[in-house]
Amino acid sequence: MRALVRPAQYLALAAYIAFLGFPLLWLVSASLKSSAELNSLTVSLIPQDVRWDNFGQALERQGLVRSASNSLVVALVSTALVVLLALPAAYALARFRGALRALGTGWILVSQVFPVILVILPLFLILRTVGLTDSLLGLTLVHTTYTLPFALWMLQGYVAAIPTDLEEAGAMDGANRASVLRRIVFPLLMPGVVATAMFSFVSSWNEFFFALVLLQSPENYTLPITLKMFIGGEGKVALGPLAAGSVLAAIPSIVFFSIMQKRLTGGLLSGAVKG
Amino acid sequence: MHTRGASLAAGLTAGVLLLAACSGGADDGGDAAPEAGSDEPITLEFQSLSDQPAAIDATESIVSAWNADNPDVQVEIVPAGWDGIYDKLITQFNGGAAPDIIHYEAASIVPFARDGYLADLSELMSDEFVADVPEGVLETVTVDDQVIAYPTELQTYMVFANRGLLEAAGVEVPTGDTMTWDELQEIAAATTAEGRYGMGWGLKSPTATFMAMAPEFGGRFFEGTGADAELVVDEGELAIPGIVAEMKAAGTVDPVSLTQSGSEVLAAFYAGQVAMTVQGSFQAANIATDAPGGFDWVVLPPLEGPEGAGQAANPQTLSVNIDSEHVEESAEFLEFFTQAENLAALNQADALIPATTSAQELMAQNLSGQPGWDVILSSGQYLTDAPYLFVDAYAQWKDTVATPAFQRFIAGETDSAGLAAELQAGWDEITA
Repeated sequence: MRALVRPAQYLALAAYIAFLGFPLLWLVSASLKSSAELNSLTVSLIPQDVRWDNFGQALERQGLVRSASNSLVVALVSTALVVLLALPAAYALARFRGALRALGTGWILVSQVFPVILVILPLFLILRTVGLTDSLLGLTLVHTTYTLPFALWMLQGYVAAIPTDLEEAGAMDGANRASVLRRIVFPLLMPGVVATAMFSFVSSWNEFFFALVLLQSPENYTLPITLKMFIGGEGKVALGPLAAGSVLAAIPSIVFFSIMQKRLTGGLLSGAVKG
Repeated sequence: MHTRGASLAAGLTAGVLLLAACSGGADDGGDAAPEAGSDEPITLEFQSLSDQPAAIDATESIVSAWNADNPDVQVEIVPAGWDGIYDKLITQFNGGAAPDIIHYEAASIVPFARDGYLADLSELMSDEFVADVPEGVLETVTVDDQVIAYPTELQTYMVFANRGLLEAAGVEVPTGDTMTWDELQEIAAATTAEGRYGMGWGLKSPTATFMAMAPEFGGRFFEGTGADAELVVDEGELAIPGIVAEMKAAGTVDPVSLTQSGSEVLAAFYAGQVAMTVQGSFQAANIATDAPGGFDWVVLPPLEGPEGAGQAANPQTLSVNIDSEHVEESAEFLEFFTQAENLAALNQADALIPATTSAQELMAQNLSGQPGWDVILSSGQYLTDAPYLFVDAYAQWKDTVATPAFQRFIAGETDSAGLAAELQAGWDEITA
């Protein structure tokens, strides 16, 4: 009986992975099917006739590679900015008590209330005044501003979970404030930083509306804008090329996550302090 | 210590910003107009929504031909997608960043005209073009006596049929100029058999279909324009929903299809599970591409009700930004763009119906021998005006009242009287 437990566990794990990965598998399958097969009643994960031309059409059309490159630059830079700005702010919010803290947390909550459609016009006018519409720099700043409050909220929770006893112990051993932050707090905060970076990256990578309104030139379009252009008027959708484009678009995200997930380890604080 | 940390953070931030600045193509577009006395050509920005590869090629080809012949007035295509274009245009107009030439559709461009964002093209549009466009279609782009766009591409709702299934059921495939709704129901009944329905009709979002086809029964839905418009729900407006309900009760329409989009129904059509399907005319191109080998299909004549075969037109449009410094040059380009051979090429690429009679005739010549297109192009002559285009609260009423009310009616949750009351009550609430 016990011999069956481990295989059963692996089986359950494989089923769970298949469940999670099924949408991606289906997307890959759709990207390899002909238009006729996609529009038939036959439902199969395995394409009847593997067609690679969807990828060719996706790459030829609308500058998909250029858009992916734009998205990558915007997502990486805004992620770096968000982490850089959120890290000290989150520490301050979590550690220092007072009116400013209440004000800061209140601001974070209030900033999440406004729908995007409400702020887009004034935002557009401000960016136009400073010459940042139709610019990847402008979009990067908008993504940073848009993501920052929630990232701050996330990181604050991670900081609050680090016992102050550890910092005090470091100080008792002669470490100054900078050393405490660098040698004790920051390493323990790394999973939170990674989680925040992932959240920021995905938010920026997938963001559609700001990019749609702010970017005017095709050479500046980001990936969500380009992919949406596969969906036409009158309900026309180039399903195969859209699926192929989406598969290609998912690759940078998958690579980014596979690099980052190794650092997303929890439980570092287990047993750090007594009681 | 704190100062050093802050400096480090500030330095990193500045570095990242610089990196972003380097990576951005921060060309703000700006005004493409040359300085007075400059020899530089004028550049017109043309925001195009062409989405099909062939249509993109056709648009680029037309623009290239113009640019070659007009070195002083160059046109630059700015591709955009249909999804979210309304929000983009609102922001562009309010922010003073709209392109010179705007591609859209009549149903959505009218509010921009009412808000004063579009140039009046009445004096700039040639008499030849005006004479070439059916009166009803021209009315769809006329707002407060001002022509605000060149209509370019149209669709009609057509019945596509599986010829083999019709013939196997002993039905003679209709070939006249038009076909009555009674004939349609008879064919649907005759072709309904075990495991097969006579009709598959994608009515997931039924309002557009019902609004477009209502004129066949004298239905107009609205009287008046703008904020003064009044909803009218009478026999003519309820006729087609009523036919759908009758066919559902008779078991001649696939009930599943009524919850699907038009495109989703095509799979059942290809598989022979439905003998006929009502679709936008552009689906002829998809059927030709996607139907299995040997699938014998035919487009039946345009449907005709007691008031004729008229369908409300909602053409794609090309308008000029009223704030453009080159309204006249833009209109000249649009005159070129809408020449018969250009419109025929574009519509052929998009599988739509040209807005001008001359382009329809040219396209009919080009496509002679291809199944269905003679009938589809002939349906263009029946297109008529669409009162709903000029109603301020139409979009809100359509999304929040009409579509759910029609869906409930199709599902059998309410009868005709209940549908009429629901449509009217919702309208009254919105316009109160």
